[in-house]
Amino acid sequence: MKKSIEVFAAIGVILGVIFGLSALAYALGAWIEGGFPLPFGHVLVEGGLPGWAWVSNILILVLVFVMVIATFLTLAERKWSAMMQDRIGPNRATINVPGLRGRALGGVFHVATDALKMLFKEDFRPKNADPLLFNLGPILAFAPVLALFAVVPVGPVVNLGGHRIGLQVSNPDFGMLWVFAIASLAVYGTSLAGWASNNKFALLGGVRASSQMISYEVALGLGLIGVMMAFASVRLPELIAGQTLYLWGGATDLGSSGQLAFGIPAWGIFLQPIGFVVFFTAAFAETKRAPFDVPEGESEIIGYFVEYSGMKFGLFMISEFAEVVILAAITTAIFFGGWHIGFFGDAWLTRNMAGSPILLGALYATIFWIKVLVLCYVQLAIRWTFPRFRYDQIQTLGWKILLPQALVNLFVTGALLLLDPSLRTLAIVGFLEIGFVLALALRRGDKEVAHRAHEPHLPDDVHGPAPAALPGAAAASHH
Amino acid sequence: MAYIKASKNPSGDLRERLYLPELIRGLAITTRHFLRNLFVGRDVNSEVQDRTGGNLVSTVSYPEEKTPYPPGYRGLHRLVPRDDGKPRCVACYMCATICPAQCIHIEAGEYESMDPATESRVIEKFPTQFVIDELRCIVCGLCVDACPKDAIRMDTGLHTPSEYNRSSFVWDIPRLLQGPPVSHPSDPWNKRPSSAPPPHQHVEAHTRIGQDVVRPRLAAGEQHQRTEVTDQPIPVTRFLKE
Repeated sequence: MKKSIEVFAAIGVILGVIFGLSALAYALGAWIEGGFPLPFGHVLVEGGLPGWAWVSNILILVLVFVMVIATFLTLAERKWSAMMQDRIGPNRATINVPGLRGRALGGVFHVATDALKMLFKEDFRPKNADPLLFNLGPILAFAPVLALFAVVPVGPVVNLGGHRIGLQVSNPDFGMLWVFAIASLAVYGTSLAGWASNNKFALLGGVRASSQMISYEVALGLGLIGVMMAFASVRLPELIAGQTLYLWGGATDLGSSGQLAFGIPAWGIFLQPIGFVVFFTAAFAETKRAPFDVPEGESEIIGYFVEYSGMKFGLFMISEFAEVVILAAITTAIFFGGWHIGFFGDAWLTRNMAGSPILLGALYATIFWIKVLVLCYVQLAIRWTFPRFRYDQIQTLGWKILLPQALVNLFVTGALLLLDPSLRTLAIVGFLEIGFVLALALRRGDKEVAHRAHEPHLPDDVHGPAPAALPGAAAASHH
Repeated sequence: MAYIKASKNPSGDLRERLYLPELIRGLAITTRHFLRNLFVGRDVNSEVQDRTGGNLVSTVSYPEEKTPYPPGYRGLHRLVPRDDGKPRCVACYMCATICPAQCIHIEAGEYESMDPATESRVIEKFPTQFVIDELRCIVCGLCVDACPKDAIRMDTGLHTPSEYNRSSFVWDIPRLLQGPPVSHPSDPWNKRPSSAPPPHQHVEAHTRIGQDVVRPRLAAGEQHQRTEVTDQPIPVTRFLKE
């Protein structure tokens, strides 16, 4: 009971911090666009800086949110995996200040110890490694990952003192194409690192990484095309706006009715469950995490970063976790309705909180980050649940399973969209697919049935093997 | 060329062939463990089998939580004190003789004057030195069995603690003499001249260190002499076969 209260309090603190930071991002964006107004009526830049809110978005969304969540995921990876495996996990690092002395706080301080270790370790470069490419590897692995987040909208566009501020670094016309383009750049970092290390195992890891990542690029793109077709856009804000429509029930549009109506939103997961599975799997393979961790291959070759130490290795690691965050963010935006609650209350919330747009925006951004954190958990749970794929299984999954699946899904989606542009038929098919998989998951498997059938049926009160009856006892009981 | 299609799934079960439902079931199991361990507090009962509650962690985090030893556990030696705080040992050398590791060294002293006022008047000998080399001890417990006076026990339930030099593992009377005092009706100083009830109480302490601890009473100014710790080899076995 005490533990539950502590956990809920911690969750509350985290959500409060997220809410505050989101509100700060809005306020900072408005402050920058207004030309840095100061308390006594001065304005640093006359006429303001319209369109410059991206500076605050880079600062707070990319450098604070993504990086801090990625940093804490290094701890979560260890602590959550411990909980999944019935262990305690990291709990030894403490800070010797009054009030915190001897309290591990769930291992939070291990983040600091990890970071300090990475920063202060020797930055070693092998003698025969190519110095330029060796140094370029971690940079090229890390930079595209952060750049990916530029097109992800975290919160709605709100009107703050005449400025329209949204929590999105950039909203280009090409939207998702940016994600595809930049995501495919990440392979250069890993393959360069593997090649420049002048180490056979690193080269092997680099080659594995490039083959795997390039294989899954195709499925990655094809998985999303269904959603783009359904909402007829590649811009993420428009995809999110499309997902606020209710398929059944509720208000048909966000602003038209202020009622607290329930309904089923046109979320991407409902329209495109196969697309979701294909995209999520392919993107998971792009992050090079288990079960797709053949490029790293801890147990065989150490992988493309075998020669890296110190913060260069840290960059590879943090880029992996930043990829996790960004994959979760993109999945949230495309398949889980972005910053909307979805099933109820969006219209009601928008109408009743119209007076304080900054709080409304921060609330929506908090909802977005909650979804992102849940999806981060799902990714970590996948990493700690499933066994690794063999190399041929990875290629089989990518080329022989996901790719045909995505193509068939694409044709079916196109046909259904032509048949019924209101998306309802598409959603019915989607629900049927989801229901089929869930029904299979909840059904008792053939093996279990067969196994149960062979078990001797014992009454419930018998614990352990029944004592063997004496030969004479059975005969005696007949008399 | 021999080619085994190792990835062929022999299962005819639709769920396993589809793979995705099995993944969902696996995730459900993992998440169930995660949620139980996250929201339910851990029972820190050191008897792991007796733990209750929804938390599934069975770790005993050692320095803070310790598993108790079974009752018959042979721990560190102690010299059992009498009621007056002196050791019950009468320096009979039985333990030193039986010790297969030859780790006990005793030097006997004799009571100079038979002072009738003291209750030790019936004892002739006492150990001036009682030294156990805990590094040589093989924890066999034969000394405890051999002792005719119940003067040495291994009931502390403690390990030999870590030390920085070997000489610190040589335990002498001030370190060995600990725990609750013990007296038996058969102790010579408890022999009664008449059948009147004895003025003292017999404490047959089957206790461990920490339970019902009675600090040995010494006379004012009296102190057990501490053994000088030197780097010289300790002549533990010199009394044997000389």
